Amino acid sequence: MNEQDRQKRRALIILQVVIYGYLALMIAIQLRLWSQRHW
Amino acid sequence: MAITTLSGGGGRRLDEHTDESKAAQREADKWMISGVILMGTAVLGVFGLPLFLWGLRLQIRAQKNGLSVRPVIVTLIGYMVMLDAALNTFGWAIDLMASHTFAARIFLPTWGNMFDGGYFWHYNELAVGGAGAPGEKAWEVLGIFIVFPMRIAACIGFLQMKRWGHQWMVVTCWTGCLMWMGYVANMTMYADIRFTGVVFPVIGWWLYDIFYITPFVAIPYLHTVNREIFSD
Amino acid sequence: MASTTPSDELPLGTSPQWEGMHRKIRKVCYVLLFGLVIEGALTFPLLAIWYGVPKLTPIEVCSELQKVMYSDGTRKCASHPLNSPPLGGPAEARGQTTAQDTWGVQPKPGYNPVGFRQLVENKERREKANAKDLKKDDGR
Repeated sequence: MNEQDRQKRRALIILQVVIYGYLALMIAIQLRLWSQRHW
Repeated sequence: MAITTLSGGGGRRLDEHTDESKAAQREADKWMISGVILMGTAVLGVFGLPLFLWGLRLQIRAQKNGLSVRPVIVTLIGYMVMLDAALNTFGWAIDLMASHTFAARIFLPTWGNMFDGGYFWHYNELAVGGAGAPGEKAWEVLGIFIVFPMRIAACIGFLQMKRWGHQWMVVTCWTGCLMWMGYVANMTMYADIRFTGVVFPVIGWWLYDIFYITPFVAIPYLHTVNREIFSD
Repeated sequence: MASTTPSDELPLGTSPQWEGMHRKIRKVCYVLLFGLVIEGALTFPLLAIWYGVPKLTPIEVCSELQKVMYSDGTRKCASHPLNSPPLGGPAEARGQTTAQDTWGVQPKPGYNPVGFRQLVENKERREKANAKDLKKDDGR
């Protein structure tokens, strides 16, 4: 694999981590609010 | 496609091959489009899935027989993203434009009571009607009139293996990421409205909506596929 | 368009270094597809059973939920003319005063979750109760 492809793969992995990390963060925030506010 | 034979017969064989491939692809697509239309209504989805899978099977069989059909993954991503847009549009269009019908009021606040209080809380009290959750109508307008039509157009071009289709898919899948991130942030901001008094708070909504992450999944493919396969 | 023979492993457009990733993406697409279709099909039956169908008709479910929504035992799900929002006319719940909320910049609703087939119980309880007490009812 050439350098450009390697960088591309890294960037795409970072993208997935960021996106799903964001969603996981939101889930965590919502779960925490749920435990505090007893919906 | 390289034509190595010097005789006119090679050109004829190429034409035959192209015609046969086009016919096979079209036949498969008829089934898949019918399937996606039914699946796009959600409630009739179980009837659409076999039609779609049959069309996919026809396409895979044509490929195994040496015909030049669309790659399976292009087909899957194209139709999945289209289905995603259709399902979202269906629900939101009902909320925005048919909020006072029996169908809307039987389905949406009921779903809302179970999963997302935004569609239950003060339903049909807004002047424009429908879900009263802060920000919700703005997301609906953005989705129904801009994002999802663009996404469906992109899918049509993408499935036709057009270069503009691929480009538009890249753009609309990224806007899909924006929609997701903004929408979820808005929900979290008004989490009390969204989850108080709901039957399955938080977990219910996420389990239900996690299947709409098709744009996230498509992006890595769109950026690593050989663009040469998409022609003008 | 490049020709692919049946024995070619790589799909069109997939170079070798991306083959693993593309295969995973294809599998995830199948999961999402089945997931979307199955949940689409199961949603209406699940909602129907939880909220009391067939003992309650869908319109009765709508009415019962509106009673919970606005904490008002007299609310009903009535039909509306074409001149309703968004085309014009007043919203169904315009000017309502019975909803229980803690108001503020992040409002908090005051209703409780609806239990399994609880709407059926609500309706039966209400039918036994004195009609005078309906407005005081919290919608349950």
